[in-house]
Amino acid sequence: MKRANYIFLLLIAGLAAALAAAMLLGSERVSVFEMTEQGRAILFDIRIPRVLLGACVGASLALAGASLQALLRNPLAEPYLLGVSNGAALGTLIAFVLLGDVAGARPVLAFAGAGIATFAVYQMARSKAGMNVERLVLSGVIITTFLSSIIVLLTSLLDAARLRGYTFWLLGDLSQATYNGFYLTLAAAAAGTIVLSSQARALNLMMIGERDAFDHGVEVGRVRIIIFGAASVLVGTSVAASGSVGYVGLIVPHIVRLVVGSDNRLVVPMSAIAGAIFVVLADTVARTAIAPRELPVGAITALIGAPLFIFLLRRN
Amino acid sequence: MKCRSVEWLMIFLVLTLAGSMLVACDRQQAEIPAVAEMRTMKDDLGRDVRLPEKVTRAVSLAPSITEMVFAAGAGDRLVGVTSYCDHPAAAKNIQKIGDTQSPNIEAIIAVRPEVILVSTASQLEAFASALEGQSAAVFVLDIRGLGDVADRLRRLGQIFSSGERAELAAIEFENRIAAVKRRPRAKRPARVLLQISEADLFTIGRDSFITELIERAGGMSVTADIPGGYPKLSKETALALDPEVIILSDSPDNLNPNDALRNSAAVRSGRVYRVNADILSRPGPRLADALEQLAALLRQEPTGN
Repeated sequence: MKRANYIFLLLIAGLAAALAAAMLLGSERVSVFEMTEQGRAILFDIRIPRVLLGACVGASLALAGASLQALLRNPLAEPYLLGVSNGAALGTLIAFVLLGDVAGARPVLAFAGAGIATFAVYQMARSKAGMNVERLVLSGVIITTFLSSIIVLLTSLLDAARLRGYTFWLLGDLSQATYNGFYLTLAAAAAGTIVLSSQARALNLMMIGERDAFDHGVEVGRVRIIIFGAASVLVGTSVAASGSVGYVGLIVPHIVRLVVGSDNRLVVPMSAIAGAIFVVLADTVARTAIAPRELPVGAITALIGAPLFIFLLRRN
Repeated sequence: MKCRSVEWLMIFLVLTLAGSMLVACDRQQAEIPAVAEMRTMKDDLGRDVRLPEKVTRAVSLAPSITEMVFAAGAGDRLVGVTSYCDHPAAAKNIQKIGDTQSPNIEAIIAVRPEVILVSTASQLEAFASALEGQSAAVFVLDIRGLGDVADRLRRLGQIFSSGERAELAAIEFENRIAAVKRRPRAKRPARVLLQISEADLFTIGRDSFITELIERAGGMSVTADIPGGYPKLSKETALALDPEVIILSDSPDNLNPNDALRNSAAVRSGRVYRVNADILSRPGPRLADALEQLAALLRQEPTGN
C-alpha cells in the first residue's frame, strides 16, 4: 500500500502542475504579476472555468470507463465505444432542438440518453449464458452507429449555421465552459468518485466472476444498477457540458492498471485524477496549437488516444 | 522464317494502329462541322468548356451564382437551382435539385441542362465522373469577392447571349462600389469584428472576401491576419482584440455578441449592428448592398451609454 500512496501523491502533484500550466497558457499572454483588467477578465471569466471544467470532464469520463470495464469484465468497455456518450449527445441535441435554452434541460436529457443507451447495450449483450465479450462490443457498435445516424439526421434537419456549431461540439469541445457547467460536473465527478470507490471491493470480486462475488455476499444486481446509474450521470453531465470527448475512459484506466495493477480500490480513484490531467493537457494543446484559432479537444484526445491504445493492445 | 513472321506481325500491328488513329482523326474532324453552333469558353479553372452558341437551359449550384445569372439578365434560362437559392423571388419557383453540398445528380440530368454552373473545384470533382456521357457542360465560376463580380456578370452575359443586360448590371455594380469609395469617411478606420455565430464564435479570417468588404467600407477587420476563411476564434483573443464595432451576420444562433465581448468598446458604446447574412456571405451582385450598408454603419458615430 505504501507504493500506492506514493503514486497518489504523484498524481495529485501532476494534476496541480497540469492545472497551473493550463491556466498560464492560452491564445493570449496574461502576466500574473502585472494583472490588467483585461488580463483578469481573460483569466477568470474565460480560461479558469474552461480548465476546471476540462478537469471534471476528464475525471468523470475516466471514472465511468474504469468502473464499466470492471463491471463488464471487458477492457473495451468505454462510454464512447459503448454508445453511452452518443446516447448523451442525442439527449443533449433533443433538448437543444425541442427545449432551446431551458436551463438544466440539457444535462437531464443527456443523463436520460446515456442511461437508455447503457441499458440497451446491456440488454443486447446479455444472454442466458451470461455476458460475453463479443456480444458486448458488438452491441456497443450497433448502438453507437444507430445513435450516430439519428444524430446525423437531426443535424441535417437543423439549419446550416446551427450545424456548424454542432460539428465542433460533437467532437468534444470545451470552449463554451461556464462556472455553472463546472459546478455541475464537479458535483457529479465528486459524487461519482465517492460512490464508485465505495463499490470498488464489490467490483474486485465481480471481476473474478459474478457467481463468486455472489457467494462472497455481493448483491450483484444492486452493484450493477449503481455502476450503470453513476456512469450515466457522469457521462451525461460531461457530454452536456462539452460534447463527446473520446478515448479518455478507455486510455486512462488502462494506463493506471499498467502502473498499479487491477485493484479497483486504486484504479477507480486514480483514474479520476489521471483523467483530469489528460483532458486538461489535451485542451491546453487544443487552445494553443493553432491560436488564435481553436481545435476541438476531442480531436486531440482521439489523436493521442488511438495510437496509444494500439500500442497498449500490442504490448499486452 | 520465324523472325520474318514476327516482322510481318509488327508491321501489321503498326499499320492497324495508324489506320485506326487516322479514322479517329477523321471522325473528330467530321464532328466539328456537325456541331457548328458550339463554341469554347475558358472557365475560372482555365478549362476549355464547349457550350452551345445559345444556352437556353442552365442549372446553378450556388445561391450566389443564381443571383448572378438573374442580374445578368438570364434568370429565365435557369431550369434548376439549389434549395438555398431564394433570391430574387423568381428563383424560388425554379425546380430545386438538392442543396449546394449534395446536389442530386439524377434531378439535374432530369431537367436536361446544357450548362451546369458550379462555384468551386470541389463541386466540379463531384460531377466530372457522374456526368460523363451526358451532354451537359460543367462551367466553374469562382467569384472571390467584390473585384470579380462585374467581370463575371459580363462573362455570364456572353454565356447566355444577354450581353447588354449583363453590361448594364456590371456598370451599375461598379458605379455603386466607386460611389462608396468617394464618400467621406472617418480619419481612422474603425476596428471591426464580424461575428458569424455567437456561442461558437466563428468569424472571418484572412481568406474571406468579407475582410476586403469591411476595408472598402472604411473599417478594418480585427481578425484580418488569422489564417483561413472562417476560423473559430479563441474567446480570450476576442476579448483582447477589443473591437470598436461588432457586426453580427444575422441568423437565429447569432443574436448577440459572445459573452467574451460583453465589456468590449463596441458593446459599451452601442456599436453592435446586424447585417443580413445572405448579402454578406454570397459573393454576388448584392455585395454592393452589403458594402453600402457597412459603409453607412461604419460612418455612424458612437451613441455612447
